[in-house]
Amino acid sequence: MSAGRVLIVDDEEAIRRSLARALTVRNYQVQEAADGPDAVAAAIASEPDLIVLDLNLPTMDGLTVTREIRARSSVPILVLSVREDEADKVAALDLGADDYLTKPFGIDELLARVRALMRRASGKDAESIRVYRTDGIEIDMAQRAVRRDEEAVRLTKTEWELLDAMSAHPGKLLTHRWLLERVWGPGYADDVEVLRVFVSQLRKKIEPDPSRPTVIVTDPGIGYRWSLRPVDAAVEAR
Amino acid sequence: MRAQKPRREIVGFAIAIGGTILLTAAVAPGRSHLTPLSIGFGYLVIVAVAAALGGLWPGITASLLGFITFNFFFLPPYNTFVIGRPEYVVVLFVFLGLAILISALLARANDRAQAAEAREHELRTLQDLSAGLVALRPGPEAYSAVVTNLLATFGLTAGALFVNDPQTRELREDVAVGAPPGELSPRTDLSGEGPAVERLPLSVGGRSLGLLVLGMDREPFAAEESRVIRAFCDQFALVLERDRLLQEATRSQVYEQADEVRRSLLAAVSHDLRTPIAAIKTSVTDLLSDESPKSGEYAHEVLESIDRETDRLAALVANLLDMSRIERGMLKARIQGVDLLEVAPAAADRVRRQYPGLVVRVAIDPAGSIVRADPVFLERVIANLMDNAARVTHEAGGTLLELDGRRMGPDTVVRVIDHGKGVPWDIREQLFYPFFQMEARHPRLGTGLGLPICKGFLSLMGGEIWVEDTPGGGATFAFSIPTEASATVHAPASAGSAR
Repeated sequence: MSAGRVLIVDDEEAIRRSLARALTVRNYQVQEAADGPDAVAAAIASEPDLIVLDLNLPTMDGLTVTREIRARSSVPILVLSVREDEADKVAALDLGADDYLTKPFGIDELLARVRALMRRASGKDAESIRVYRTDGIEIDMAQRAVRRDEEAVRLTKTEWELLDAMSAHPGKLLTHRWLLERVWGPGYADDVEVLRVFVSQLRKKIEPDPSRPTVIVTDPGIGYRWSLRPVDAAVEAR
Repeated sequence: MRAQKPRREIVGFAIAIGGTILLTAAVAPGRSHLTPLSIGFGYLVIVAVAAALGGLWPGITASLLGFITFNFFFLPPYNTFVIGRPEYVVVLFVFLGLAILISALLARANDRAQAAEAREHELRTLQDLSAGLVALRPGPEAYSAVVTNLLATFGLTAGALFVNDPQTRELREDVAVGAPPGELSPRTDLSGEGPAVERLPLSVGGRSLGLLVLGMDREPFAAEESRVIRAFCDQFALVLERDRLLQEATRSQVYEQADEVRRSLLAAVSHDLRTPIAAIKTSVTDLLSDESPKSGEYAHEVLESIDRETDRLAALVANLLDMSRIERGMLKARIQGVDLLEVAPAAADRVRRQYPGLVVRVAIDPAGSIVRADPVFLERVIANLMDNAARVTHEAGGTLLELDGRRMGPDTVVRVIDHGKGVPWDIREQLFYPFFQMEARHPRLGTGLGLPICKGFLSLMGGEIWVEDTPGGGATFAFSIPTEASATVHAPASAGSAR
């Protein structure tokens, strides 16, 4: 049984080959594209479950490819970047890419991201009842209730909206800009400080240990990632 | 200017004296028929001419001479200083007064005209000198021409220009004309020996830029000459300042360009070094992964790709080192007889290993197979060309790569023939410049360094490199290298076409 269909987009044959080999041997069906136009065509024609996209491409750059694909499909996109391309990476995430990896990376790291993104995209997470549990904390998005050691915790309206925006995309790296626009509105896209304050408030209420957050994980300079999986989905996946 | 003045004065005096004598001699015989007044006018004419030509003193002389002569010869009773009628006294003294007045007025007009002329001359001199300053391109040759011009204008034979060195903050002799460098000292000679010199500071806005030292083998400068020279020095200083700023601007432009090259180099290095590293990292972690298939066959496949990428990395690092050594002029070719029949097949084998699908045909003419070369450089040149050719052939989906070597006059010409996309005409020269990329947005070291390195190595060995079209499509990179003169002696007996 196939673990999923992955489209690998990189202009370097060596990278494509090594990734394709490692994924194929782990039961993924792999398709390769060497440039942007091919990638967009393949993404639309063969509807892969996930796209691994190098940002540094000739003829059509990775950002354009992200935009083109996002305009037609919600397939998870994992972008590959190099350290100097911090800005491109954030831009790609803003445009709707789901996560990133910095080259060079280990294959286990890639596989973990691939699995997380595919799981979310499979719809089980998104459509589930969305109850999260961890270390004495229970978050029930349907009932809009947070309990800490069986005691109800009160959240403000903005905190709920932030919690909702984050928990709706488990595993996905959510950029500052995306969260700000989503929760506060387009005019607040650059108010990273506001976001930081609210995340810290929220952490005090929903993190088992707010000084060492594990539910809302920071990706420095880029954004936050919701790391909990819904109770139902987690059970089902086992 | 000044030299003319005494001569004009002498002419004035001559006219004053000679004119008076001549007029007196001419008119004296008929003096009884003339009124004294009309004769007085005759003397006034002489006064006017003397003053106009000679200035004030010749005019006064003529006036006094006329006064005496007029009185003595022409005011009755004749030949005495006695004046017969009272109105003659009036005539006489009116004459004297008029004569002196005319002299004074004419002399002043004359002086003014002369001063204007001198001014104009100064201006013209200055203009001529500064026209030279502005027209010239910056540099010591230009300054030398300007100083030469200055010396000629003022009748000098030797001069030197000292420029303030911004680094050492000391005066450095930039130009010496008419004297050996170092003879004209910028510093005052306390012993009083050595040639007499004039030292003229060159400064702009209170900042000293240099010193103009002129050897004075003539009388000191007159006031107006000094004026001209000072004005000239001011302009010269401005020009020096302009040239200095121009130089600085050029230098910063060069820095900018170097910066540009550095940036594109950095981008290329980061991409080209990182790609094999990323591929190796993926493969290695694949092998280390718990989920990795434990089959030896899979491990072998992964290890092979690691090996390939490691080779690629090593080649890139070697190219980078070579390029930096070539650019710093650190390399010296150790020329000796090298047999292409040994070097070429080895390179072909390596390419075959790297691109298993490729057919590599090697044809070396034994008559020119031994060349005068550095074996390491030659091997790198052939390897680089073969790598390029193999890559473009592979990318174009071709399978055939040819290496051909044959004798051409004193040289052996080696051609690496691919059937790829070929090289457009307009970039054939630039291909051999470091970091020229066929795709500007996407710098790659692989194509950015190989050819410049080949060119660098070949120029160290007396060879050349160029591009040709491959008949039927593709590029042929050819290079020439001197053939070993005694080639036939060293050629292996079994030499033939190597495959």
